[in-house]
Amino acid sequence: MSEEAKKDPYEEHMRALTSTELAKAMQTFCDKIEFGDAAQLNSCVHCGLCTDTCHYYLASGELEALPAYKLNLVSAVFKNQHTRLGKIAPALTGAEALDAEMVSRWIDSLYGRCTLCGRCALNCTLGINISRLIRLARTTLASVNLVPPELQSTVSTAVDKGNNMGIPRQEWFDTLQWLDEELQQEVSDPSAHLPIDQPNTRLFYTVNPREPKFFPLSLLATAKIFHAAGESWTFSSDYYDVTNYGLFSGDDQASGVISARLRDSMHKLRANTLVLGECGHGYNANRWEAPEWLAGAYGFEVKSILEIIADYIRQGRIKLDRSRNQKRVTLHDPCNLVRLGGIIEEQRFILKRAVSDFVEMYPNREQNFCCGGGGGQLSMTRFAKRRIESGRIKAEQIRATGAQIVVAPCHNCIDQLSELNKEYKLGVEIKTVSEMVADALIIER
Amino acid sequence: MSLVLLLRLGVVLSAVYCLITLTVLIARTFSFGRPPRYAKAQGSAAKGIVYAFGQGMLPWEKESASKHLPTFFAGILYHAGIFAAIFFLITALLLIKLPDVAIRIVRLIAVIGLLSGIGLLVKRFALPYMRFISCLDDYIANILVGLLLLFTLLATYHYVLQFALMAVAIVLLLYIPVGKIRHCVFFFYSRILFGTFFGRRGTLPHPSIED
Repeated sequence: MSEEAKKDPYEEHMRALTSTELAKAMQTFCDKIEFGDAAQLNSCVHCGLCTDTCHYYLASGELEALPAYKLNLVSAVFKNQHTRLGKIAPALTGAEALDAEMVSRWIDSLYGRCTLCGRCALNCTLGINISRLIRLARTTLASVNLVPPELQSTVSTAVDKGNNMGIPRQEWFDTLQWLDEELQQEVSDPSAHLPIDQPNTRLFYTVNPREPKFFPLSLLATAKIFHAAGESWTFSSDYYDVTNYGLFSGDDQASGVISARLRDSMHKLRANTLVLGECGHGYNANRWEAPEWLAGAYGFEVKSILEIIADYIRQGRIKLDRSRNQKRVTLHDPCNLVRLGGIIEEQRFILKRAVSDFVEMYPNREQNFCCGGGGGQLSMTRFAKRRIESGRIKAEQIRATGAQIVVAPCHNCIDQLSELNKEYKLGVEIKTVSEMVADALIIER
Repeated sequence: MSLVLLLRLGVVLSAVYCLITLTVLIARTFSFGRPPRYAKAQGSAAKGIVYAFGQGMLPWEKESASKHLPTFFAGILYHAGIFAAIFFLITALLLIKLPDVAIRIVRLIAVIGLLSGIGLLVKRFALPYMRFISCLDDYIANILVGLLLLFTLLATYHYVLQFALMAVAIVLLLYIPVGKIRHCVFFFYSRILFGTFFGRRGTLPHPSIED
């Protein structure tokens, strides 16, 4: 281990775990296991057919990246705790105790070599939800403060400051005010604007804070679409962050706190539908996981912005001229939106009407490969080298299409794809679906 | 008590033990509980389950199968051999004399199953990544099932070898609940959970394509 690693307080904590901490971790692990988890932890036959499904393994060939190995790390602890043979003769079934050495392997493989993309789960011959079980292990580690600090910092910023980038309220207002002026110029309508805290609107729109911080034109694109559709919508002045990195850290409590804010904003604004901006994990977290973290059904609709835009097109509320987007376009399917979210065809329906030359990459839809940016990897700088290496599979997919533009309805994916673009010299532009639609939009004056 | 009677009784008792132990194991698994799901379903869990046990089992639906066709088919033939062996064992226990054609079919399936099992075992030994994810249980389970298939095959040729088949069956039945062969019951739960998860989310079966 390097001198730098030795000085890393996180590494030091990992090495000096107390028996009390290990007992607490074990308790969390046992408490969080549901029937389905226990059934699946008893199911793996080590057939090894999941091997090629993981972009980490495909890119690196490292055995520690094998999905079956990662699942083994979790099931070893389960067997040691919950099966007779695992207690009596652990070596026979591969059972192992949750000790400091196992914790170290968990961190290395379950945080460091997994994006929770679910591709192994989809292709498992038995149907084991491997990514769910890996998140269960992350939850266990989170209970003893063993989330890699860079990822924890993103979660803590969201909890403490209301959004994961810590954008002050005034900066948010200033950005929206500036975008108001831009929108008015774009659509030649002085009454056009980006509403904030408007009560009783149809839609409450939430975004990835990277948009106001680094990609304000992506916000402008969506505002332009809303304007063209004559939509009743609003932003919130306080909680507008669609992301929830608790999904990746495994911290259910923080996940619940972050999710509750959007739910409460919905109630405060009395909007009809919570609309989730182009953010893959934000969609999965808020559409599918948040009601479970908060232990209650939402009394309102939760939709992706892609569903909203597709409906505008179907209903004739917006008109597009695909000849305005002449370059060849391909689509990246964010894992949390597509495979784990179920939003599969809407983005295709939209792009086929917004661009002249649309080509699929292969494999696609629910079988897509993760770009490598999910699972909190973009935050966990300690594993950045692996992240870029694992993205080679996606880079090769993109190159094979010959596309000049890659559309990705997820800002995390866009960040990773931008890095892959440089690293693998792809020479592509990377855009959101809204940006493509805004470029093709026919504004009736 | 004659040896044959003792072995037959042994098989029956070990089968009863196996069933009871598996039932207890399932009950213990259920005891972990299942909180209600609150997120509003987008697709259908029922359709997802039908997919999981139907279309979803086809090799082109799963990359794990389509990229590993020899292993996929070896696995199917291996399991076919196991079912043939169980069938033959039951007829032996009940003293049912099978017609020649049935014996020939059992023999054929058992030999193909045995060869497939040997192939899978060799693969597990030979490939570094397979060794890396394997534990002793994987080898024991494969060898025990291989012996069951071998003695099924031999017993179709000579009655006396049914004794050896029954002895192997007793060991195997006692081993099932503690080793990985317990997947014989958990497989069904896993596929149901798989279908429920992806079905509710609207990922599977594939949504229709709107052009």
